[in-house]
Amino acid sequence: MVQLAFNSFLTVLLLLPAAILLCRRSSRTRALPSLLFLLALLVGTFVAGMSFWRGDRLALDLSWLTLFPFAFAVDRLSAFFLLIICAVGAPVALFSIPYVERHYSGTKADWMWALLSLFLLSMSLVVTASTAFAFLFGWELMTLFSAGLIVIDGDSERRRHNIFIYLVMMHAGAAAVFASFLLFLPHAPGLDFVSIRAAAATMPAGLRTAVFLLFFVGFGTKAGIVPFHLWLPKAHPIAPSPVSALMSAVMLKTAIYGFVRFAFDFFGGGPAWWGYLIMLAGAVTGVLGILYALTEHDLKRLLAYSSVENIGIIYLGLGAALVFMANNSPAWAMVALVAALLHALNHSLFKSLLFLGAGAVSDATHTLDIELLGGLLKRMRVTGTVFLIGCCSIIGLPLFNGFVGEWLMFRSFIAGSELPGIASAAILPLMAGVLALIGAIAAACFAKLYGVAFLGRPRSIAAEHATEVATAMQAAMAVLAAACVTIGLMPGIVLSPLTAMAQELLHSSGLPEAEIPIAHTLPFIAACIAVLVIAVTGFRRIKRITPTWACGLPTLSSRMQYSSAAFSKPLRKVFARAYKPDRTVEVLYANEPYFPQSIVYRSVRTTSFEKSLYRPAVDAIVGMAARLRRLQTGNVQVYLLYIFLALIALLVFMRFV
Amino acid sequence: MGLIEFAAAKALASSAVFLFITLLMMAAAKRISTCIILFSTQSAIMAAEILALAYAGKSAEAYAVAALVIVVKVVAIPYALFRIVKDLKASQDVASSTTGAQSVFIMAGLILLSFHVVVPYAKTLRLDEDLLAAAVALLLAGAFLMVSRKKALMQVIGLLVLENGIFLAALTTTYGMPLVIEIGIFFDLLMGVFLMGLFVFRIRDTFEHLDVSKLRRLRG
Amino acid sequence: MNLALDVIQALLLVAIAPLVRGVVARVKARIQNRRGASVWRPYADLLKLFRKQDLVPETASGLFRLAPVILFAVTVTAAAFIPVLHPSALFGAGGDFILLVYLLAIGRFFLMLGAMDGGSSFGGMGASREALVSALAEAPLLLALVSVAILAHTVTMSGIVLSTVRQNPLHLSAVYGFALGAMILVAIAETGRIPVDNPATHLELTMIHEAMVLEYSGPSLALIEWANAVKLALIMAMLVGVFAPWGMATSTSIAALVLAPLAFVFKLAVLAVAIAVIESSMAKLRMYLVPDFLGMASALAILAVAFTALMR
Repeated sequence: MVQLAFNSFLTVLLLLPAAILLCRRSSRTRALPSLLFLLALLVGTFVAGMSFWRGDRLALDLSWLTLFPFAFAVDRLSAFFLLIICAVGAPVALFSIPYVERHYSGTKADWMWALLSLFLLSMSLVVTASTAFAFLFGWELMTLFSAGLIVIDGDSERRRHNIFIYLVMMHAGAAAVFASFLLFLPHAPGLDFVSIRAAAATMPAGLRTAVFLLFFVGFGTKAGIVPFHLWLPKAHPIAPSPVSALMSAVMLKTAIYGFVRFAFDFFGGGPAWWGYLIMLAGAVTGVLGILYALTEHDLKRLLAYSSVENIGIIYLGLGAALVFMANNSPAWAMVALVAALLHALNHSLFKSLLFLGAGAVSDATHTLDIELLGGLLKRMRVTGTVFLIGCCSIIGLPLFNGFVGEWLMFRSFIAGSELPGIASAAILPLMAGVLALIGAIAAACFAKLYGVAFLGRPRSIAAEHATEVATAMQAAMAVLAAACVTIGLMPGIVLSPLTAMAQELLHSSGLPEAEIPIAHTLPFIAACIAVLVIAVTGFRRIKRITPTWACGLPTLSSRMQYSSAAFSKPLRKVFARAYKPDRTVEVLYANEPYFPQSIVYRSVRTTSFEKSLYRPAVDAIVGMAARLRRLQTGNVQVYLLYIFLALIALLVFMRFV
Repeated sequence: MGLIEFAAAKALASSAVFLFITLLMMAAAKRISTCIILFSTQSAIMAAEILALAYAGKSAEAYAVAALVIVVKVVAIPYALFRIVKDLKASQDVASSTTGAQSVFIMAGLILLSFHVVVPYAKTLRLDEDLLAAAVALLLAGAFLMVSRKKALMQVIGLLVLENGIFLAALTTTYGMPLVIEIGIFFDLLMGVFLMGLFVFRIRDTFEHLDVSKLRRLRG
Repeated sequence: MNLALDVIQALLLVAIAPLVRGVVARVKARIQNRRGASVWRPYADLLKLFRKQDLVPETASGLFRLAPVILFAVTVTAAAFIPVLHPSALFGAGGDFILLVYLLAIGRFFLMLGAMDGGSSFGGMGASREALVSALAEAPLLLALVSVAILAHTVTMSGIVLSTVRQNPLHLSAVYGFALGAMILVAIAETGRIPVDNPATHLELTMIHEAMVLEYSGPSLALIEWANAVKLALIMAMLVGVFAPWGMATSTSIAALVLAPLAFVFKLAVLAVAIAVIESSMAKLRMYLVPDFLGMASALAILAVAFTALMR
């Protein structure tokens, strides 16, 4: 029955555009496709849940449709990522119903729903593919449909530039993934996962390294590892809010799926330097991502950079798992892998919640610049509360889901002290320090975000007149928030199947419960805190409303509050080497040199990677291309000369071979 | 007797750790008098170690060396340096070219480097790797202090720490040099400090300051 | 028996926390040649504040009054993690130092939000400076505890304390020395003492914690002050427990049970005097020198972790 549900889930998503075409005529059936979409996603959640918790295996072979092997299979790993896709997709779909109604009309709304459905279908194809052709098919479609969804929102010059960069980088990544698949070709002619797994076991070391580097770059580009993260803060903020939520929360995880499938399923771990490289990439990405997020005041760009940081954290866990595998301790590798995957699930839950919240804020105040917001918690209670839950989760505070993944990662890093060799025994515990630093700066960043946007006085008229958004949007966000809190209080429900899956994947035995007691302690801590909170609030405390202390001045204006730039200034100064903005000061003098007419201060932050890595690389390629262009003289006799020279070279070569 | 034995064993076992701590504190120090006190403490720790060795080896020479260390390095030279600082009436600021945290990081790195260098030798030569690493660390730290601190007096203190390191290395590898050589070295050290004291006044009187980075102005 | 001791020691920490603050203030006053207020003054202050009204700014939301409650609840729960009288605690066996540090982070986060909810410049300023200090202090704190946990082969607080108790006090490894140095520096930053923050100042140039609580009054302020005192007592008890726990009751004999609280009070008194001496002999650091201060703590913590690998 689960198999039937899976097949119908895929079919409905595929045929939704046709349904939209049919239903658009009559106004009564207009709402039908969106409800059908939501229903399909709920079915998908059910399918994925069944397969993940019970371990059901599903298969679907559509090779008769195409020339190449085109089949799908759902094992526990695929089910986990399918669960992420559908469990996040369903609330986002619920959110989109009033959102699309409000922002788009007629054809645009139809396109929106059609592309959303196909986007989710392509992501499901990627995680359930069991042949390389199906995988790559879904991979490329993901990029195309998400670009289409961004284009629907408008195509100004700047937007087209950002979409272009997005498409180019995604395509480059896809090419790398394609190449890594192709390297299996001589040994695994059908390029289906079963034969790839068998071929990987007998691969020579040099070829393994090549495949590893290719899929590291390919999946790293999609996931957003520094220095391939450039597209993330360009593409995520310009997409409509539900699409940003899906891109940031779900699409990045497909890259993680690809990486886990290659590194752990096909290769079963590798030499230790793979793990150290991944950990280094994760550490750099995490630190730089959150540092860039700290100074942003555009709500969506901040969340996009924060996604970069969380991908870094996931890579830290994956790298640790690879190091443990290389040192023959599969039990701790399992813990690190579970930590990384749990963090992936948690991230998709709270990041989608935060992006949907950003969408709600943008709907209510028509701006995403937090320097113009303020006091939203009093005016949008539900949105404010669930956004607070999202912020607590992303920081990794206990009793919310972010903490559990980070705790498991800390635990596995501490266990790294038992690895052989002095350097390896010191590196993993030091990574715990890096993780702590990332978490602490994230706390500062989100305290800034929530404090400036939701608390205090409103800084603009729009913020002052903000009202709560539609009920469906609130419900969608509340569902995600409830999931965050549930996993935070009772992580066992997700940890047990994840552990079972990791054990299966890594062929390891479990760890004694005494080593990982976290699932049992958290409910007690929660109970203790709840009891204390109730006890203290039970005492009657009389409240009197007064004006804020203004040092004796008559009133405080909203501009006297700390702004977002002011809040992050101390940390910006400490980490100044990561920022290096281009600062210009233009002073316009009137007649006298001592009394300027106007002073304009401009501080533009192009990330250092664009300046120091991409621009020189692009300039080098363009320069080389310009020099090569001289070969094209347009003179027919020169072309004949080229052919003649090639002929002579061939003859000489034949003589000496 | 048990107490003395115990103290001797303790002194030998953990003096390396205390030496590292004094090095880290010297990296973080912001005033010259703090550095002088830390140098004196370092020398006192080394004197305690020599006493422990003397007690274990029951050698009268070692007692004499310990007494020399105490008289010269723990009392005389620090006193002389304090007098110089007081008479100069210059500011006590260390004038470092690296911030406090950077200095401590570099010092930590030097300590780890000295361990990395020493470990393969210590196993083959069957020496106490902690003390040998401490000796190399003192040497590197002395050099680092001379390089990063711009005051002339800090150059002297850096040199003294470096000499401490060499002395400790000799102590660990050969259980001390012959007594005559030890006495010679101490005399050299004492004379060196007095000469430096004289020169420092001359430098200050000629140039009005003691910042060695300004010596660059002597270039043509 | 064990459970009773666990509950008693948690309540003890919460109850004597204001007294610890009072003692530190009194010793500081004596060093500065003043007479100083009575050591029981903080209790009188708390009682006075609890009897007053809560003044709430008009721009504040419900979060403003919720924040002190959450801060207090979380800090008291964290106090139940630390072994005081015997090497185990209420949450000591299941709870570990990572959970402890992040529980304190919950309190700090909500206090920062409550500060910004007041809508004044002081709140934002205090929150921004507190964000700076806590962002840089958390990594050395966790690394120092990680190094000690690696030596103890366990992550639970009670396990760490038990492992230190079992060792010979005069043969401690170098790792403890470096970790202690790092933790002292971080403890000064986390509890807001000179040289990082002046707990007795009301000049906005020098405030970090005081600026955050400027808008609070009445019972909310009482809860915040008490939570602050509990945090100080908690961190002092953690330092004592991890680095000098000898004197704790390792058996349930009467002699051990009588010795344990006396030893604890003695060690706390020594620490309180040390804090007072440090506060009276150093000047408060300029705010942009605090990252330098915490950088030294980070270097020491990294050295501690590196030494756990070297000393194996």
